[in-house]
Amino acid sequence: MKVFIDPPNSLILFDLVERFGNEPLSTMAALQERVDNLEIDMPPMNVTLDDVVKGLKYAGIEVPSGVRGRLSIWGPMIEAADAAIVVEDAPFEFGCVGCERSELMVKYLIKRSGKPALKLKYPEDEDEGKVFVQKVKEFLEGLQ
Amino acid sequence: MRETRLLMICPTSRLTPDVLAREIHATGKDVKIKETCYGCLIEGEREVVREVTAFAREIDHNAVFSKRRAYKAGDPVRCRAQHGTRPGFAQLESEWEALPLIKAGLDAADNGEKTEEKPGKKKLPAIRFKEICEVK
Repeated sequence: MKVFIDPPNSLILFDLVERFGNEPLSTMAALQERVDNLEIDMPPMNVTLDDVVKGLKYAGIEVPSGVRGRLSIWGPMIEAADAAIVVEDAPFEFGCVGCERSELMVKYLIKRSGKPALKLKYPEDEDEGKVFVQKVKEFLEGLQ
Repeated sequence: MRETRLLMICPTSRLTPDVLAREIHATGKDVKIKETCYGCLIEGEREVVREVTAFAREIDHNAVFSKRRAYKAGDPVRCRAQHGTRPGFAQLESEWEALPLIKAGLDAADNGEKTEEKPGKKKLPAIRFKEICEVK
């Protein structure tokens, strides 16, 4: 099963989804295609102007170009996914991944697609960590 | 097809990046390994990298975590040694701090342990809040 993860570059989610036998859809795979196939020589410009235009499929013209650029990468992954796991309230220190507007759009796209989604929060103590893993495991087992 | 993987060691583990890199070297698999402060980067053909990742996870049970990396190991755009930018580092650091909690969760899941979710915090009723604010 293909599972979209949000934050899409999360180490924890990528590892857990893969560990429980599913394929995580992450930004890293999408960006690897760009890194290998295109010339990207001005860090951190991982998104090109064409991507921002492609993002119009997922967000209106009034939406900031940064959000559209992200959605041009995340949107196709949401379409390709069979399910999604979303960690809400990402800290602002996460950079572009912590963008609240992008997160709202991602959650909206997932809801609109009607695909099963699990919403979680980052654990803050050991019990929350246990519940976090338990929920992910049960959700992924339920997809089989 | 190339696949680059980031292997990160849980901070509570006694495993060191050096030992992890040596163990992977000892397998004799055709992968490039770059030792880092948090674990190591491995790069090679997808199937081989996945085999090595599965092996690395078994070196210290539930203490080695992995994710893909878009850029090649030592890519000058991202490599700190060449003053590359590292925009995702704050997130990686934050998740690294949470790894012991995830390890505890994985250990509990392996043991078939069930943990009840704590009830969420309730909002303070306005009357109670007013009582707190009022100086008697």
